[in-house]
Amino acid sequence: MTVMRRTSARTAHSISSRISSAPTRRTVLAGAAASASALALAACSSGSSGSGDGDDSGSDAVPSFDPDAKTTITFMHAMASGDQKTALEKIVSDFGKDHPNVTIELQDQPDYGTLQTKTKAQVGAGSAPTIAQAYGNWASEYADSKVIVPLDAYAEADEDYADFAEAVKKDMQLTDGKIWMWPFNKSVVVVYRNAEMVKEEPKTWDDFAKVSKDVSKDGVVALSIDPGSAKGPAGGTALYEILAESMGSTVFADDGTPQFSEDGCVKALEYLVDLKDAGALAIASGYPGQEALGAEKGAFDVSSVASFPFNEQAVGGKFEMGVSALPEGPSGAANQLAGTNIVLFADASDQERAAAWEFMQFITTPEQQASWAAATGYLPVSSASLEQDAMKKVVEERPWITDAVKQLDTARALPPVTSVTEASGLLSVALQDALQGKAKPADALADAQKKA
Amino acid sequence: MSTSESSLPQTLPRTGAGRPGNPAPRTGPARRRSRARRALTSPIAYLFVAPAIAIFGIWTIFPTLYTFRVSTFDWNQLNPAMSEFIGLGNYRDMLSGSTNPSFWQTFGVSCYFVIANVVVGTILALLLALLVRRGSKLMAAARTSFFLAYIAPGVATALIWLWIFNPRFGLANGVLSLLHLPVIDWLGDSRYAMLSIIVYSVWHEVGFLVLVFVGGLMTTSGELSEAAKVDGANPWQEFSRVTLPQLIPYVAFVVIISSISSLQAFTQFFVLTGGGPGYSTSTIGFQLYQQAFVLGNTGYGAALAVVLFLITLVLSIIQLRISARLSR
Repeated sequence: MTVMRRTSARTAHSISSRISSAPTRRTVLAGAAASASALALAACSSGSSGSGDGDDSGSDAVPSFDPDAKTTITFMHAMASGDQKTALEKIVSDFGKDHPNVTIELQDQPDYGTLQTKTKAQVGAGSAPTIAQAYGNWASEYADSKVIVPLDAYAEADEDYADFAEAVKKDMQLTDGKIWMWPFNKSVVVVYRNAEMVKEEPKTWDDFAKVSKDVSKDGVVALSIDPGSAKGPAGGTALYEILAESMGSTVFADDGTPQFSEDGCVKALEYLVDLKDAGALAIASGYPGQEALGAEKGAFDVSSVASFPFNEQAVGGKFEMGVSALPEGPSGAANQLAGTNIVLFADASDQERAAAWEFMQFITTPEQQASWAAATGYLPVSSASLEQDAMKKVVEERPWITDAVKQLDTARALPPVTSVTEASGLLSVALQDALQGKAKPADALADAQKKA
Repeated sequence: MSTSESSLPQTLPRTGAGRPGNPAPRTGPARRRSRARRALTSPIAYLFVAPAIAIFGIWTIFPTLYTFRVSTFDWNQLNPAMSEFIGLGNYRDMLSGSTNPSFWQTFGVSCYFVIANVVVGTILALLLALLVRRGSKLMAAARTSFFLAYIAPGVATALIWLWIFNPRFGLANGVLSLLHLPVIDWLGDSRYAMLSIIVYSVWHEVGFLVLVFVGGLMTTSGELSEAAKVDGANPWQEFSRVTLPQLIPYVAFVVIISSISSLQAFTQFFVLTGGGPGYSTSTIGFQLYQQAFVLGNTGYGAALAVVLFLITLVLSIIQLRISARLSR
């Protein structure tokens, strides 16, 4: 693929040999065809998809597991670095002790964007992984294309399911009311702060704005966010969606319809623009809040609980880092349930599905959830996990975790609808335009609403 | 600016570009036809070219033709059996500008990038080539340093430049601050985002172009230059009236090849701006990926690929024509 060739290292030898060779009509036309080939290679291979015409999305019943059969399943995921990678490998290792005939092949992907693209490419090419991490809007696309299996019967058979947090249970469903996903790494958003710069945690978003403006001087900009781009949403997009809800409007209706022009949505963007104009908000891509906080050039980072180990590393003991629940807005507290679930692909054989289901159940046992949460900062999906020793120790060290776990019951996830993917990109563009001063918040959002 | 398929035109003069008295051996049409017939009658010849034809067919020709097919469908990437034939629907959407962003907007952004990248890259490469053309060790080291940027992987270098352009902690703004100049949101402000990408692209690719021009300069006639100097030409006159005319085939080659590869550029847009802010850096190449692989509009992405193919084809034909004309 042209794109990949451009990103690969090219040796001096290959260049010099190119210089000494002469182009022919064929080689020049080969260059012309490169971009088309890139796309077609992904597309044409999909003709062999094992998904057939879409009617064969597999039986809904739970297949029986044969513990004596040698089985290999693949798990495509993005927990590929730091403590997350180690913790996932430990889960696989622990699972292997009870299931010696099942091999779990972890297929690491560097980030969620790559995970989504790679999963789709593999599914289309007829070599889907057995299971993969997925957001609700991705799962919606998979279900529409009949390449994953519904998990209602599976959930019924699981003894831990009843203890899952309410928002987690809801997050496992698509808009058809069926369960299509199994929970894995769940999180909510919290406020990290330089506790030496900001002594008291802000209780309301008004307090937050006031403190932010006060501390933004001498090279300090209180908050830095990534508003996302046309490529997709980012942490700043989630912050905006939470702000809008705490100001009375949800950015997406339950069926995924964008509501960008609603009053609360406009107020939330005006709030951010006001902070930017006052020099209390900076925009960059990646994890700018974490970087600024660590460099003592930022007072806050509004980010997922899973950022805790990364933020702790960025701060490096230079100052005390405070962590607190999100401030409240005029319409009360709001939070966003983030993180992914696991989907089970229809191409898998009965034994592979059964083995994958054993593994999925194993992940959500209270013991594994507690050890996963302790290692990574993600939240355990069931309250029983809090009773585990590993989790008790974490709560003792980080008391704010208890509040965060409670928010799992009330946090709102983005609607699991395919169209949310594209609409989120449009929303990010609106945020960029307004924060750049290119358009007034109401106009930028109205434009995004019109296009969505 | 170069592609892996790029190479110097066969028709470029090796010595004394196009001067009388040094003609390239001409081959008559009849002789060429006879040679072609001989090749076609030899089974061994087919054996020799079979691997190349197979690779070219599998990886280039068939996928290209398949892309034409996909572009006429509302294609379901996950389950092709659910795809729906819509004829020229994707092309109608494209030409009517009803997509987000509109095709015409991405076409305009692509033109901006290609023109600026090619013009700046070519002029800078020529200037650098003139500076490092001499064979001293220092100049050789300089040529190597330009080339090092070119052979470094695009993603890695783009990530480094992402930090250089960081609005708060980046080197670029650090320099501006030292000079007491206002800092710039290089990648987050739509006035500067494309400019920043062009700076990166030129930095990354100029090494190859310098090498092409250094090669070209080595083939220019020293006698003509010396004669011009004896006749009283100043350095600028000597360059513009003696050296540059001899370099025209190389300039044409660089411009066309740079245009083609700039049209296909992707990495810097993906890593540095993600097509933003807004859609200010959303080129056709970037939107092709975004539509086909992220948003699931694979059919529309294929239609964009076909258009990119046609534009590249036209440029390639122009290159071949120019090369042929200059060689006569």
